[in-house]
Amino acid sequence: MPTLNLSGAMRLLVLVAFFVAGVWSQSSGVIDDFIFYLPDIQYLAVQHLWLTAVSGSLAILVAIPLGILLSRPSMAKVAESAMQVLNVGTTIPTLAVLALSMSFLGIGTVPAIFGLFVATLLPITRNTYTGLKGVSPALMEAAAGIGMSPTQRLLRVELPNALYVIFAGIRTALAINIGTVPLAFLIGAGGLGELIFTGIDLYDPVMMLSGAIPTALLAVVVDMLIAITAFLVVPRGVNPGRA
Amino acid sequence: MKNVMTLLSGLALAGTLATAQANEVVVGGKNFTEQQILASMTSQYLEHLGYDVEKRSGMGSAVLRQAQENGQIDLYWEYTGTSLINYNDVTERLSPEETYERVKELDAEKGLVWLAPSDANNTYALAMREDDAEERGIATLSDLAQAVNDDEGLTFALNAEFYAREDGWRPLQQAYDFRVGRADVKRMDSGLVYQALRDGQVEVGLVFATDGRIPAFDFRVLADDQDYFPAYALTPVVRAETLEANPELEAQMDKLSGLLDDATMSSLNAQVDVEKQTIERVAEDFLTEHDLL
Repeated sequence: MPTLNLSGAMRLLVLVAFFVAGVWSQSSGVIDDFIFYLPDIQYLAVQHLWLTAVSGSLAILVAIPLGILLSRPSMAKVAESAMQVLNVGTTIPTLAVLALSMSFLGIGTVPAIFGLFVATLLPITRNTYTGLKGVSPALMEAAAGIGMSPTQRLLRVELPNALYVIFAGIRTALAINIGTVPLAFLIGAGGLGELIFTGIDLYDPVMMLSGAIPTALLAVVVDMLIAITAFLVVPRGVNPGRA
Repeated sequence: MKNVMTLLSGLALAGTLATAQANEVVVGGKNFTEQQILASMTSQYLEHLGYDVEKRSGMGSAVLRQAQENGQIDLYWEYTGTSLINYNDVTERLSPEETYERVKELDAEKGLVWLAPSDANNTYALAMREDDAEERGIATLSDLAQAVNDDEGLTFALNAEFYAREDGWRPLQQAYDFRVGRADVKRMDSGLVYQALRDGQVEVGLVFATDGRIPAFDFRVLADDQDYFPAYALTPVVRAETLEANPELEAQMDKLSGLLDDATMSSLNAQVDVEKQTIERVAEDFLTEHDLL
């Protein structure tokens, strides 16, 4: 069984690599340095997640209904231009959005949440719209044929079929969101950016990584949680994960 | 056709010779207005003198210093106290002259030459809004420490670098014996501190003494009554190798350095931060005014 052997060798290789990395980091004192920042990391990670949770939830609450609205046949003419307007929020550098929102919302969490909200809005709206537009016309016709009202069609046919794509949008958006939160530090909203930017300014790589590694981990974990939610929520028949 | 070819190759040769003759100097700068003005001013000035200048500004202090030690930056304007405490770990209390002499000596070992210091001393300072400071009766850092210890609910805006520096926030609190809770310290971009303080979003802000927004926004700079901060004389620092290759650079930079003092820097900074002129323009006007362009 050559395949089994290969995966066994791979596993061994990974274990050895981990072991070597562990020995190296222990001997070079990097682990102690990281432990020094642990209380900081915990405090800031909570702030970081809080910023993502609030701005992300607001974006989901606004973007999904917006995407649904834009996908209705009556909106066909304005849908693309509306999407372009949202696009502006994504293309302007996030730091500029943050600095702008600071000028009318003050410093701290409020402008940061607003800035992040704007940056997170588009991927979700776009995917909601695309997902709904992508539902097979045959399904829609069948639904109309058995006498479903437009609301019934939306809730029972369109949304379940589009849900997987909508979740993909939420995953992208939140991953971007977590990666953007470090910038919120610059307008006084805290988060792991404190360690990253102070580390850069002071040329202290360990401090910088103490902010950057947890940020990356948070992004991975949040992405995984949404993937699991999608797996459980999207109906069996239209769920590629469960087919 | 042949003539054209000869002409072209002649031009190409002349071009190569010209670039080979011009001495390349990489000018660095930190990430705040004063440093960006100085980097631009130095680049324009040296370019006018015939150097082939490359400008790299916008870095944090430690990064810039590291780059200079590694030979990626030839010349930038550093502050004596910053080198003394942050790069050379000297914590003794020294007079401004002693500070300069000490860093000159210590950095010489690393191949860096401190040229003539300017009269501009851009020290860190904490500032409050004039009316607020008046009302609370705070004029010195000792008064401030007292107010913090009396729990007057003061909030602070600091930049990332100051918060963690050896001559920064923690040692300052120790020297004046006060303790501000984490939630009352907002850390943010240096430039946005002034706006936050002006708009009343914090009570105390970290400022640079030569910043033009201090008078423009009506801030009161709190006196450092226990002489906590060292001197931060603004001085061009150049790599020894670069100076060897361009011996005339020293006299040229000294000329520029001799023109700068607190009032001049403050006015230049204000032209950018308050009057919103571009950095290049302000630098150019200054050089023209002093016949350096």
